Amino acid sequence: MEGKVIVVTSGKGGVGKTTATASLGSALALEGKKVVVVDMDIGLRNLDVVMGLENRIVFNLIDAVTGKCKLQQAAIKDRKIDNLFLIPASQSDNKSIINASAMERFCKKLRNEFDFVLLDCPAGIEQGFENAIAGAEEAIVICTPEVSSVRDADRVIGILLSRSIVPRLMVNRIVPQLVERGDMLSHEDVVDVLSVDLLGLVPMDELVVISTNMGNHIVMQKDSMAGQAFRRIAMRLNGQADLPIEVPRTQKSFWKKLGIFGKKK
Amino acid sequence: MEPFFRRLFGKESSKDKAKKRLKLALVYDKLEVSDETLSNLQKDIIQVISKYFVINQDSLKLDIRRSEDYSTLVLNTPIVSAKHRGVST
Repeated sequence: MEGKVIVVTSGKGGVGKTTATASLGSALALEGKKVVVVDMDIGLRNLDVVMGLENRIVFNLIDAVTGKCKLQQAAIKDRKIDNLFLIPASQSDNKSIINASAMERFCKKLRNEFDFVLLDCPAGIEQGFENAIAGAEEAIVICTPEVSSVRDADRVIGILLSRSIVPRLMVNRIVPQLVERGDMLSHEDVVDVLSVDLLGLVPMDELVVISTNMGNHIVMQKDSMAGQAFRRIAMRLNGQADLPIEVPRTQKSFWKKLGIFGKKK
Repeated sequence: MEPFFRRLFGKESSKDKAKKRLKLALVYDKLEVSDETLSNLQKDIIQVISKYFVINQDSLKLDIRRSEDYSTLVLNTPIVSAKHRGVST
């Protein structure tokens, strides 16, 4: 097997990297691929709770990289989706144990076992980031339509390009009402500023909060706009490159659509 | 204000403002040069100039000055004397 290693990164924290990694991983597994998601945030692990696997952890990434356990022992099988595995980060502060070249070797091993390897990168551009991008061949850069997030995304894209890793952009937490009112950057604005290929658009969706509370997969909820957006992105990653990108829009009724006449204020 | 009226009065939306600020910030970010790069550049420049002029290396000053529209690389050095052909090593 010759899988793909993709790093999910953003520069700025709190833009939805972990949720995106979990969701894209589960969506790809639902497409029938064998997937592993790896938490690269040593000391601040979270991918396990987001996926609802926090009480199944025995071994972690550090154990697997340093050879304390076998790869198969560190990869936790998902509760609901076949072919989906998680390698959790270690929670103790021994992050200096792994370095970029060790991660590069480890990613090669993972590539032999899985179709897709998704690396959940820590925030920032320090050593943890360097470790996460070391073994990756592709990158998904996540940003929200806010100035701080877009600026950090630009920095990260610059670094990725200098390491010959191809970045593609996912704009997260789009609020169509605000975009239509001119009070939020549209995805066109973001792409224009960053000049990078667009992979997908995900709307703000409160169902994400709820399913994260429960440790459930958002992509398994048919009524979730964000979940469906993640599934389309996964399909695009999985070879259907020309699947059109859906732009999140407000769900207006016919009468409201008729325009300015009916509007108050 | 509704977008329609905002446009009518020629008022800028908050996202247009955001985009403008963002573009400017990114331009500035890319102009930032680390001290290490600057001192490497200084060493290289001294080497090149020394081929043609005798200069006092300590009085050479290299600076990046920023104005509203552009950044300038400013090099300032007094020349002690010109070197003549064949003298340079």
